Amino acid sequence: MSEHADLSRELSERVADAAAREAPLAIRGGGTKAFLGERSEGEALDVTGHRGIVSYEPGELVLTARAGTPLTEIEAALADAGQMLPFEPPHHGANATLGGTIAAGVSGPGRPFFGAARDLVLGTRIVNGRGEDLRFGGEVMKNVAGYDLSRLMAGAHGTLGMLLEISLKVLPAPRARATRVFEHDAATAIEQINAWQRKPWPITAAYWEDGRTYLRLAGAQSSVDSAIRALGGEALTDDGTFWQSVREQTRKFFEGDDPLWRLSVAPATPMMDLEGPTALDWAGAQRWLRSAAPAETVRAAVSSHGGHASIYRGDASPRFHPLPKALMALHRRVKQSVDPAGILNRGRLYPDF
Amino acid sequence: MAHADLAASTEQALGGAPRKQQLIERLTAELPADIVLHADEDLRPFECDGLSAYRQVPMIVVLPSTIAQVQTTMRICHDNDVPVVARGAGTGLSGGALPLDDGVLLSLAKFNRILDIDTDNRRATVQPGVRNLAISEAVSHLGLYYAPDPSSQIACSIGGNVAENSGGVHCLKYGLTTHNIVQIEIVTVEGERLTIGSSALDSPGFDLLALMTGSEGLLGVIVEVTVKLLAKPELARVALVAFDDVRKAGDAVAAIIQAGIVPAGLEMLDNPAIVATEEFVHAGYPKDAAAILLCEVDGTEAEVEEDIERVREVVEREGATEVRISRDDGERALFWAGRKAAFPAMGRISPDYYCMDGTIPRKALAEVLIGIGELSEEYGQRVANVFHAGDGNLHPLILYDANQEGELERTEAFGGAICRLCLEHGGSITGEHGVGVEKIDQMCVQFPSAELTQFHAVKEAFDPKGLLNPGKAVPTLHRCAEFGAMHVHNGELPHPELERL
Amino acid sequence: MQTSIIPQLRDTADGQEADRILRACTHCGFCTATCPTYQLVGDERDGPRGRIYMIKQVLEGEEPTEKTQRHLDRCLTCRACETTCPSGVEYAKLADIGRELVDQKVQRPLPQRVVRWLLRHIVAYRNRFGFVFALGHFFKPLLVGPLAPLRQKMPPKQERIDWPQADNTQRTMLVHDGCVQPVAAPNTNAHAARILSKLGVRLIAPKASGCCGALSQHLSHREEALDFARANIDAWWPHIEAGAEAIVITASGCGASVAEYGYMLRNDPVYADKAARVSELTRDLSDVLAQEDLTSLGDIGDGRKVAYHPPCTLQNAPGLHDNVAEILTQAGYQLTHVQDPHLCCGSAGTYSILQPTMANELRDNKLASLNAGAPDVIVTANIGCQLHLEAAAGIPVRHWIELLEPRMAQPAAA
Repeated sequence: MSEHADLSRELSERVADAAAREAPLAIRGGGTKAFLGERSEGEALDVTGHRGIVSYEPGELVLTARAGTPLTEIEAALADAGQMLPFEPPHHGANATLGGTIAAGVSGPGRPFFGAARDLVLGTRIVNGRGEDLRFGGEVMKNVAGYDLSRLMAGAHGTLGMLLEISLKVLPAPRARATRVFEHDAATAIEQINAWQRKPWPITAAYWEDGRTYLRLAGAQSSVDSAIRALGGEALTDDGTFWQSVREQTRKFFEGDDPLWRLSVAPATPMMDLEGPTALDWAGAQRWLRSAAPAETVRAAVSSHGGHASIYRGDASPRFHPLPKALMALHRRVKQSVDPAGILNRGRLYPDF
Repeated sequence: MAHADLAASTEQALGGAPRKQQLIERLTAELPADIVLHADEDLRPFECDGLSAYRQVPMIVVLPSTIAQVQTTMRICHDNDVPVVARGAGTGLSGGALPLDDGVLLSLAKFNRILDIDTDNRRATVQPGVRNLAISEAVSHLGLYYAPDPSSQIACSIGGNVAENSGGVHCLKYGLTTHNIVQIEIVTVEGERLTIGSSALDSPGFDLLALMTGSEGLLGVIVEVTVKLLAKPELARVALVAFDDVRKAGDAVAAIIQAGIVPAGLEMLDNPAIVATEEFVHAGYPKDAAAILLCEVDGTEAEVEEDIERVREVVEREGATEVRISRDDGERALFWAGRKAAFPAMGRISPDYYCMDGTIPRKALAEVLIGIGELSEEYGQRVANVFHAGDGNLHPLILYDANQEGELERTEAFGGAICRLCLEHGGSITGEHGVGVEKIDQMCVQFPSAELTQFHAVKEAFDPKGLLNPGKAVPTLHRCAEFGAMHVHNGELPHPELERL
Repeated sequence: MQTSIIPQLRDTADGQEADRILRACTHCGFCTATCPTYQLVGDERDGPRGRIYMIKQVLEGEEPTEKTQRHLDRCLTCRACETTCPSGVEYAKLADIGRELVDQKVQRPLPQRVVRWLLRHIVAYRNRFGFVFALGHFFKPLLVGPLAPLRQKMPPKQERIDWPQADNTQRTMLVHDGCVQPVAAPNTNAHAARILSKLGVRLIAPKASGCCGALSQHLSHREEALDFARANIDAWWPHIEAGAEAIVITASGCGASVAEYGYMLRNDPVYADKAARVSELTRDLSDVLAQEDLTSLGDIGDGRKVAYHPPCTLQNAPGLHDNVAEILTQAGYQLTHVQDPHLCCGSAGTYSILQPTMANELRDNKLASLNAGAPDVIVTANIGCQLHLEAAAGIPVRHWIELLEPRMAQPAAA
């Protein structure tokens, strides 16, 4: 196995020191997800040196690793034991770390079926804005002692604590897998994908782009076979590469300089009347939009369906969907409760935050 | 015991009868008089939840039926510095809905309507008092169901499920409440209405939905919940597996998981639990077995047939003395019926029982079981064990007689020892029942003071005056110091930074 | 649950029985899930667990007021809670003890006392009730105030049909005649006698038998209930000794009561054994028919749609077995799907008269689920449910036995 280094003491001290000086810190892992969200203010704090798998027992379905551990290293260890990270995190670059992935709260195509990053988090060890080294949750499947601050860390972009260690639930990799392709327009795709899910088919991903629905089936061989017989569609060879391209946004759809929006909506939400091409992932619940439409237009359309829109590439401010006033006030109070001086990734989530 | 501390934590706020009279007047000025209960006779039935060993008559009970009435109640209580305890179906097992003698008990039982069933998105929006099972019943004809199924699912309410982050027998595969809800509406301590989460799979900003779930009524009052619905599996089958040795049963649990099977449910009962439930349910459990496992696999027909045979192979290799596989849904329901009724069925073999709720890594199952057996002898009290074995979630049921002086206290001490045993094996003091008042002292053992301080800071972000369910879930450092004086571990004094009382 | 019954009660038979029952309760709350009134109003005090708690308070020396009485009154005694209680709490027995105790301590207002007295002294006696029933039809417009609920309880008078000719070669069974049914639906037992006669069983209705005692029992006069029970046992005993195979019940409300005679009279040195034997012989009509070969009756239903309402006393009370659905299906009827069959219709003996608001709300809900499958006729197995539902059903409500007679099978137009 690879490098091991425990820098928890040094990192805690750095934060404590910064807290004393009220000097903002910009926490940085592999830097692969820096494009998400706003720019963090302050001195750079590199956590990539704090790395290594702390414990992994396949029989327990739990893996604990330090925040700076490369995602590739974790995935390799799991693959050796026939297991996987069920939320299929997008790497967005070779240097992706576990900490950055959890902080960004990003999840791949399997998300609606296996859960998001936050769903798989069992425990975290963090450094709060006071420089205190704290542990929440643990390595057991169920744990309701105290508030669930572990899951709160997922998607908080480091604004609520610097992650030191994360314990995740992992799962056995499915024994068999197949992908079927269907010719659908977008409306049919949305309808069909949701209809399929009202039956217990072993679906583990559903993606639509440019007139085609891609449906991934996985589980026991017999189960995948019977689903293929019932649902039909054309086989997709080399589907591993295909899903990788969805997960990592390396498809042609994502190329070019047009603004890229991520629309998060209820899965059966009808296609919205917004200019530019759309692709549907997460069985319709995560939609990618290439559109030069003004941010207000995009957000108003998505809001009217109870969803939210964030910008992945291009200019829009704020980059994440704005919060209602009362909720924003609550966010500030929560932030203050863990980071009173406001030094952790200041400005990363919302400009004045 | 928690009573003294709870009373102490709130006595400074209020001063007895005139105060109560004032509050009644303010409440009835804005609310219908018949939903504000204040006579002792009316209040008594609310003095405890599913953990009846802890009792406290509340000052006032309010029975709202609209969100506006909840908001009014919260606003008046906030203005008058009166603590509020929210209560759902009152089935909780950690005393989370134990009232306060100077507080308002806010019952949400009248909120029992299913508001919307969204078939396309597979969601249901329900009021918090809706029974867990009622959701699955209401969508059954659509081929859907709501996955988390606590043993009390026939009676427990969804609002309570969210407050406790309830699990059930199918968590290993389908997750806890936190994994199966998308949005909640809350009323804040000030009486403001907020939407947490969204109809999408995530929402902008912090994951406050995760934070609210399992917060035991300390952060807000849940007034509406949108849950995810899943397609009912085509088929589910249960293997009822008997062992002549608990160690073998514990090892078989790990072996099943290791074999790459993710069972929909994996439960274990030891001999006393088998005997007690069999008397009531007649599920056909072998009464001479040292332990049984109930291993359910679900999915498509083909998948289930494949997996159940693999389960059979694994458990036979691990030394099972008997393997019975449910032939149809009727038999499957029968196999489960015993497990689901296991807790209260203890009422048949003992006047009282105390249900513990620890979690441990699966590999420690056998060892912890044996440890509990030793403690049982040490304390001279019988114990029956019911486990969500797949999740490493133990429910030791300590049998006692509350009418015998000193038995409850001894039982609580025994329970505390079991909690410590779980922690020693890297587990947690509560997997799904919550801390409530019951395990508040054990929280001091599980968490150092910095973590507890952080919890209190988060609480303050939602409830600066500390009026929502005070005294539950997270102990004050002073309480821990007091408790710590009694329980010194490894020669270290916990919370050394505190002045000793 | 922990208990501390006060000394005055602790050594009484009731006190000990109540303590035994209370100690089994773990306060888990499962019972609230199937309690019709709790599901309706969502108030702990209107569910079994709350009522148990209130009874416990009284047993522990708290002085009850009319509030405790009101919440105990609101209980239907449908015993649905007992079916979901994993600890085996015998709620109905506790409720009887609790109600009587509270009624001793809390005097009811005069109008309530009058209605209750009338129910006990008129309805429970079929001659008196028959007289009042006839009178009632005449004076229907005068039923106002607390008597108003009685008005809708007045079904049209039935045109009496004949009992079959006595055939002394046949096997014999007794039929319980009761109080309300012979007046309001006299044909039910006649139908039962005719069907059984075809199957080779002669049904005997001893004239001296009367009310089963349930009315008094539920109105907190348990001693009076015991007298009714003894009178019935005396009326039946010679026939039982002569070889009657069963006591057939055509109104499950009475059946649940007769099936408990053994328990009720367990401490009576003279009647205990006989009562136990009577309870043992008590069987619901559907249970009796299910044991016989019904193929000779043929396909009477011809696929017509029937909604069946199983009375609480048939589905919840121990001692009776419900085979109505199977029999009707076998007879060629199509049973419609009815949501929440476990919920009471609100009739519950005298409940619909004493608690009209709650009873009518329960009835509305029940009729909505019964009518959801667009049936031609609603059937049930208890006279109380039948009259209560009929008053608002909009379609005929019958005792199911009527559907087994070919000429009766055509449901009358609503």
